[in-house]
Amino acid sequence: MPELLHTLPVTRIVTTAAALDGASVPEDALVLRTAPDEALVIHAEAADPDAITIDDAHAIVVADAGWSGGWIPTAAADTFLDGNCSWARPIDRPAFAQGMVAHLPVKLWFEAERTLFVVPHVSAHELTHRLREGGIA
Amino acid sequence: MGGGARKVAPDPTSTNRCRTLGAVSDDTFDFAGRDITFAPGDSALLALTRHGIHPAGGGPLCFAGDCPNCLCTVDGISYVRACQTPAEVGVRIEPHPTNGEPPLPAWDTEAKTVAAIHRRADVVVIGGGESGQAARQQAADAGRIVELLDTNDGAEAIAVYPGPIVVARTADGMVNIECDDIVVATGAAEIQPIVPGSRLAGLWTPRAAAHVQAAGIDLGLTVAVGDVSDDAAATVVAPGELVRFEGEERLAAVITMVDGAEVRTEADNAIVGLGIHPRTGLARMANFMDVEVVGDAALEPTVPTCPSSGIACPCSNVTVEQLDDIYERGFTHMELLKRGTLAGTGTCQGSVCTPYLRSFLQDRGQELQPAFTFRPMAKQLTMNEIAAGSHLPALARTSLDSVHRDLGAQMDRMGGWWRPWTYGDTDAEYAAVRERVSLGDVSTLGKMILTGPDAEASLQRLFPTDVSTIKPGRSRYVLMLNERGYVMDDGMIAREHDGTFFLTFTSGGASMAEMWIRDWSASWGHDIRILNQTMSLGAINVTGPLAKELLERATDDDLPPFLGHCNITVAGVPCKVLRVSFTGELSFELHHPVDRSVELWTALMDLGADLGIQPHAIEALFRLRLEKGHIIVGIDTDYDSTPRRLQHEWAVNMKKGDFIGRTAIERTNRLALDKRLVGFRTEGRAPFEGAVVWSGSDYAGWVTSAAFSPTIGAGVALGWLEAVDGEFPASVTIDGLDAEIVSPHFYDPEGARPRA
Amino acid sequence: MNEFWEAKVALQWGTLKPSYDVVIIGGGGHGLATAYNLALRHGITNVAVLERSYIGGGNSGRNTTVIRSNYGKPEPVRFYQRSLELYRDLEAETERWMMHDERGLWWITHTEAGRRTEIARAEINRAFGADTRFAEPEEIEREIPGINMNPAGEFPVLGGSFHAGGATARHDRVVWALAEGAMRAGVDIIQGVEVTGLKVENNQIVGVETTQGSIATETVVSAVGGHATSVADMAGVRLPIRTHPLQAFVTNHYEGTFDAIVASIDLGFYVSQTARGEMLGGAHIDPQPSYSRRSDHHFISSIAKRITALFPFMGDLRVLRQWTGSCDMSPDYSPVMGRTPVDGFLITTGWGTWGFKAIPAGGEAMAELVATGTTPELIAPFSLDRFAKDRALADRGSSGTH
Repeated sequence: MPELLHTLPVTRIVTTAAALDGASVPEDALVLRTAPDEALVIHAEAADPDAITIDDAHAIVVADAGWSGGWIPTAAADTFLDGNCSWARPIDRPAFAQGMVAHLPVKLWFEAERTLFVVPHVSAHELTHRLREGGIA
Repeated sequence: MGGGARKVAPDPTSTNRCRTLGAVSDDTFDFAGRDITFAPGDSALLALTRHGIHPAGGGPLCFAGDCPNCLCTVDGISYVRACQTPAEVGVRIEPHPTNGEPPLPAWDTEAKTVAAIHRRADVVVIGGGESGQAARQQAADAGRIVELLDTNDGAEAIAVYPGPIVVARTADGMVNIECDDIVVATGAAEIQPIVPGSRLAGLWTPRAAAHVQAAGIDLGLTVAVGDVSDDAAATVVAPGELVRFEGEERLAAVITMVDGAEVRTEADNAIVGLGIHPRTGLARMANFMDVEVVGDAALEPTVPTCPSSGIACPCSNVTVEQLDDIYERGFTHMELLKRGTLAGTGTCQGSVCTPYLRSFLQDRGQELQPAFTFRPMAKQLTMNEIAAGSHLPALARTSLDSVHRDLGAQMDRMGGWWRPWTYGDTDAEYAAVRERVSLGDVSTLGKMILTGPDAEASLQRLFPTDVSTIKPGRSRYVLMLNERGYVMDDGMIAREHDGTFFLTFTSGGASMAEMWIRDWSASWGHDIRILNQTMSLGAINVTGPLAKELLERATDDDLPPFLGHCNITVAGVPCKVLRVSFTGELSFELHHPVDRSVELWTALMDLGADLGIQPHAIEALFRLRLEKGHIIVGIDTDYDSTPRRLQHEWAVNMKKGDFIGRTAIERTNRLALDKRLVGFRTEGRAPFEGAVVWSGSDYAGWVTSAAFSPTIGAGVALGWLEAVDGEFPASVTIDGLDAEIVSPHFYDPEGARPRA
Repeated sequence: MNEFWEAKVALQWGTLKPSYDVVIIGGGGHGLATAYNLALRHGITNVAVLERSYIGGGNSGRNTTVIRSNYGKPEPVRFYQRSLELYRDLEAETERWMMHDERGLWWITHTEAGRRTEIARAEINRAFGADTRFAEPEEIEREIPGINMNPAGEFPVLGGSFHAGGATARHDRVVWALAEGAMRAGVDIIQGVEVTGLKVENNQIVGVETTQGSIATETVVSAVGGHATSVADMAGVRLPIRTHPLQAFVTNHYEGTFDAIVASIDLGFYVSQTARGEMLGGAHIDPQPSYSRRSDHHFISSIAKRITALFPFMGDLRVLRQWTGSCDMSPDYSPVMGRTPVDGFLITTGWGTWGFKAIPAGGEAMAELVATGTTPELIAPFSLDRFAKDRALADRGSSGTH
């Protein structure tokens, strides 16, 4: 069976909300703004903190191997979330949301055709197990 | 009065009290060993009725899920109403016991997984009758997303919880709907008779009678009593007020009172119309919000005639005589009446008896009482159904988890993580650390980057050490104190050359420490940046006298001095190396990206093969650190452990400025010391962990950690020594052993080995 | 006929008089037990018990009825053991049936650390008179029917302690028997009266203001649950108490064949079958302080999952009702009993999740304090001033969930 989740090429940013508003990241990177002053930047290839510019001398900008993720087709993702996510998901696409899913701290990036599930590496084993229990192969 | 009941002639040819089966197929289900045929669409109760069977032997039937009079055990699940159970081929139904309770499920019954579906709607309408449909239409016309729950459509509303969340049971599983507004259109229940004989078979509410008649069942000589609607057909109308029912098991006659005289009306069946009681349970359950109640559910309830005899609460089998008796004994408050008799505490949640309890108290001069607080659930769910969508709490797994399991480790639940307790030979693991070199997985340590203009200022106020004197490239042990001066956690503060700080905390302590730092810094208005890297960095402790030799094989970079740290490459993996010792031996903590952990571990194991390298698990680690007298917060500390009690005053700098806990420490230091954490030494063996420390026959504390030390050649222990009558005892016994009170630093007290 | 109804107790309600020797605020177990002991042990009967709603309507009627003394420090072991022993005699003394059933309590652990804790618990319990021993997994598997020894493959049962003195009793019946005994001896118990103020002159309590008028008295015992801080505040006394919700549930009634009282520390629940045959379960307090008595969905769904993991057979039981009580938590997870800085104002509070089991001993000790003016040795460690004196009774590991 193929692995559902892989280590994501992430740069983690901790700064101020204003600095994050003005940050520049590579165009092909996906930015998940996990808090007003924090973001996960998922790069297209390898994590690359140097490719990010932020106007904050104190910003923490570090490569972060601690995130696992996997893309799941929309229909399968929705079925799984219907059964395992008790909070209301965003309707617009694309959209970011985060919260407890299947009793694990999950970040979700919704696109029209697919959904990215992101979870701390330490919970990846468990999320994989629960995704499979939920019928995702 | 008989209202407008239709009169029909009895069928003179029938011998069955329920004279016509109606149109049934050959399909059957099992009831108490009998094959029961049924018509498509029948409920189990309707099918049983076709065969003249009352599943509980007697009691009025409502066919609406309001009363407890058709309870059965369906496929092993007790307390299921036959009127709400579809008649299906192969279903096995047992009658509810008439005496006693149903048995527990067999001990070896397995849990079953029930699916859960979470949905979102603007409005949930509960009830699919006229008023419910109207409410649904109205909301839909207003452009709102509406979810209608109708029991007749197989969506049974169970409960309303804060959220609000409406929980419903469907054939597909449990449905939890988060919504903004709720419309309760649950209609009204029919009030059931409470008179002598009301437990006989052959009694029907008007709607129930209409329902069975519409299914083609002939109820024979049918007597209407009270207010019976047009829909139910009766043969005869009994005049006057209902007094009692007569018969042996089945109804034989209805007795009414007309002008002070009893009138007896022979009957096969009776239709009893006593008015309605709105089903307000779900609306009352939702009393934390404004719910709209429409239709019959919003009607004022009928207050029935106060009963004088009979079973008032069929669920708990409470008689009117019992109500009378206990009321006379002072149980006059509605809640005491309920709790004293247990009326209203059963399966139907007071649906049958509540109207009567109200009329009972009103009859005795009390104001009309409101109905009881209505708690979830309105309809019952099995624990399997309730557990739908829920998961057991999951533990975190380090990036070396599979390595431990492959080594055959006994994994243990510890501080929110799976950790290897032992690889099978703890003595050998211990020896590898003391004599050669060993690896330990310390990825569970809390790890945090702290920076920003006020980072140092925050740390100065957070911790009792003088952070300003930690030089770049150096680290220091710190205690984390709360406002009461008690130790919450401990760890290391390391200052980087660029002025940022790297902090470590105990396993499982990272989240609490992060919140603690964030909350206090925010309250001080400090401008800081925090990144919790606990989940992002793995950590391997390379420890033992040959640790340096091993690492020198793995890196060309310089290793840090004792309590120093640096960022270097080890076996090709970028590592932050902290030289800090918990085992008492020369030790290096290698913090590294989690995706490189297995690679780093494997490389070090290979490089150390000829050095006799062997990994150590937690049990060995606990013994190693115990010999050094290193405390573990949460094991050797208690809720009220001050630095003084722990003999850790060396970690508190009272010459610096204010810090959290300082005021408390100043105050408590003026009080007499009542207990302190000490070392105990015993000959021959160690006391067990948790053993009481005795001074003669006086309690003098307890052992927090203990093990026999092969290196010391004695039992070594940490534990609390408490003052007895204001004096610390000089000699104590523990677990039947004479114990010497000693410094907890049993092994290498000068600390030469980690500095080597 | 229902054999579980209260067939004997007769309650004779008092009417409020303008003055009393002692006024007790709160008609729950602790207030009533204090009144009962004042009247029957010390002959002090000019006593009023003021109850805002109905007697036993607070946590006395919302708890999960477990009686135990398996604590982790000498002081609480002694205190709760006294209570456990008084419970043994309470039915005979009051001549009232309380469904008291001493059948033993299992605390199951699924971790190595938990094993050490339970071994230690057994030791300290035995040292101070409580009957507790460590049990290996084999014994647990043999003695507890229907137990899954390794739920989900992640919660292996690694042992536990068996507290032979662990018992249950019907909470309401304890309340009523104590109320009846106090009433018969002349105590006035008044329902539906709310305290609106406390009068203090020269640091001495002199009276109580209520919704039914003023009462003169020089001794007030606050046995309030849930709003203990508000009432103490009326006398200018600050209590280190936070109130948290605690949720519980019962199933329908089943034949009473599950004899064990079982708590799983790591799965975070406890369960027992009542004399009436209901399976009764609960979990930890809600983490957020609140006076709310609402039951929530997360609680019941989560606890059902955890219970059915350890006891799969319970998955087929149907849940009848869930409810919520209010737990007054002190900083050290222990009760607060005795004097306050205001003369004549005494408190018995901080009853967290362990109030029911302490009713007989708490009432006995508070009555003795009122009657003699001397704090009994048994409760001296639980005084309010222990926090200022840095003599907290840290025993969080034993507070358990019930």
